[in-house]
Amino acid sequence: MNEAQINQQDRRGGRKLLAFPQWLTSEHPFPWLFPATAMLVVFGIYPVLYSLWLSFFKRNPATRVEKFQPSWNWSKLIEDDRVWDAVVVTLTYTSVALVIQLALGMLIALLLDSDRRGYGVLRALMTLPLVVPPAVTGMMFLLMYDGSFGVISHVLYDLGIISPNAPLLATGSTALMSVIIVDVWQWTPFMVLIMLAGLRALPKDPFEAAAIDGATDIQAFFRLTLPMMSKIIALAVLIRGIDLFRIYDYVKVMTDSGPGTATETLTAYTGTVYFKSADFPYASTVAIFTLLTVLIIANVFIKVFKVRF
Amino acid sequence: MASVIVEKLVKKYGDLEVLHSIDLDVEDGQFVVLLGPSGCGKSTLLRTIAGLESSTSGDISIGDRLVNGVHPKDRNIAMVFQNYALYAHMKVRDNMAFSMQLSKTPKARIEERVNWAASILSLEPYLDRYPKELSGGQRQRVAMGRAIVRDPDVFLFDEPLSNLDAKLRVQMRTEIKELHQRLKTTTVYVTHDQIEAMTMADIVVIMRDGHIEQMGTPMEIYDNPSNLFVAEFIGSPGMNLLKGKIVQEGDKMVCQVNELFLPLPDRLDATVGQEVLYGIRPEHLIPSENGLKATISVVEPTGPETHLFCHLSGHDVCAISRERMNWKADEVVSLEPIVDYVHVFDAQTDQAVKRKT
Repeated sequence: MNEAQINQQDRRGGRKLLAFPQWLTSEHPFPWLFPATAMLVVFGIYPVLYSLWLSFFKRNPATRVEKFQPSWNWSKLIEDDRVWDAVVVTLTYTSVALVIQLALGMLIALLLDSDRRGYGVLRALMTLPLVVPPAVTGMMFLLMYDGSFGVISHVLYDLGIISPNAPLLATGSTALMSVIIVDVWQWTPFMVLIMLAGLRALPKDPFEAAAIDGATDIQAFFRLTLPMMSKIIALAVLIRGIDLFRIYDYVKVMTDSGPGTATETLTAYTGTVYFKSADFPYASTVAIFTLLTVLIIANVFIKVFKVRF
Repeated sequence: MASVIVEKLVKKYGDLEVLHSIDLDVEDGQFVVLLGPSGCGKSTLLRTIAGLESSTSGDISIGDRLVNGVHPKDRNIAMVFQNYALYAHMKVRDNMAFSMQLSKTPKARIEERVNWAASILSLEPYLDRYPKELSGGQRQRVAMGRAIVRDPDVFLFDEPLSNLDAKLRVQMRTEIKELHQRLKTTTVYVTHDQIEAMTMADIVVIMRDGHIEQMGTPMEIYDNPSNLFVAEFIGSPGMNLLKGKIVQEGDKMVCQVNELFLPLPDRLDATVGQEVLYGIRPEHLIPSENGLKATISVVEPTGPETHLFCHLSGHDVCAISRERMNWKADEVVSLEPIVDYVHVFDAQTDQAVKRKT
């Protein structure tokens, strides 16, 4: 018997009840790390590195020949106005949606933070939008926004807020906000969940002490709740922010970046370059640029707000 | 400063009544300790006085003002919590200044009050630290500082020393008492620790199951427990209690415990044949030449005194002696109860049998 077999027997009190193959009882980290590492390398690291590599090639759309020319795509990106427009749209989309979701999420969480009868059901119902696939949500709102039979448009016409000549999704000034509202509908519950988890974990005593110290509920919220929740809020902003930055599905389904490029985000533009122009190297360049932008913004945020995981 | 008057206070959680018609009168400047085992309602009573819990019926007045339904912030009270309840994201200075910041007190005045409180509690070096950078005792002091800066009418303490180690607890006990002697603010203090209650209180209020069992100065309660519960609860080691019966012996009544006949105080309002519990505190059961023969089971020297745990006629009893004798387990010792300090409780009602006047 070798050492491993002896160990195996020792551990089971000398009796072999279940004969696992030896590699399944290994104490060496490698067999355990291998599957996850392999997945990460194949589906994560390799595609990123390949994209980076691809961005150094110039593609001739006519001949479909790709030639190594490292600066070509990167200088094209810097001069490409559509990229910078997309950056503006993406940042607008992200920041507006984030602020609304954060404020609404906190407000709803405060309302649902109660042990009274029925609140558990309300909290559970709150999560329903999260289970709808985003593409389906997009389709649903597409119908509701429709200029001729959509319920939302209809109500807004009746209230005189918008004109029938300017359908919500087909008008430059309203299209982006309309898409943001869909995002808010679907993802605010996620914020609510995080905020609720935070609120319910807050210690009760400081609030009682504050009540005795003379704080009103509103003073207690701004002087205690918000500062005590700051870490959780920062984490929520980070998670949702990264998620919002790579928005694709709603834009693709509802406006396809239109009207014109009014709702063209970075990922949407990447998709257009890739699928419509078939310029794979340039699409890779835009994708890598998007990744770098997110990484920089997220890391600056983590540093500034001292987010801890 | 103000008095606190609680009248016929009832507190229910749903159908469960936790405080049953409590009457309590705390005089201006008094230090009153609510003492009792866990779940006796002492914290609920304190929190109801604070306004953190609403009362079901009954009245609470602070000073001359009826405060039923008044928000805690409008009662002019200060409270110290068991786990300090400090504001973790604020420095010590801001923790202490918080209430005055809320009431828009001028900055100079806040500064002056915080410095005054910090000097009383020796907190000056820690004013710019966060609570997490302080030890348990320092945090407790900050919590007290937060209470005293405002000059409230009443201090409420909810088991403030429970989270401290034994040595610090003794030290803080003295500090709180000193503080009270200095500020003379009416104080209601909750604890389950009878030593804290005995050492600090002007008046001890003993509670059980939502009732007040007895109220009085510490020594009154120690010397004249009104019932069995109070007798057992106060004193460590606890009072020895022997089950027996009153019998006549010559012209005197004595208590028969198994084969023993124990002496009773004069003028006891008891009847022959009455089933009783014969109570004697360990320090009143003293080793002497011509006492009751008991077998020592354990000897516990504590330093100043020695605790002798003995078997006496089928009962376990404890005697305390300040003499340093070389007692050993299994030895026979002769113990004599000091008859003036004997307590007798009716076995049916648990109430103390009083002396005739």
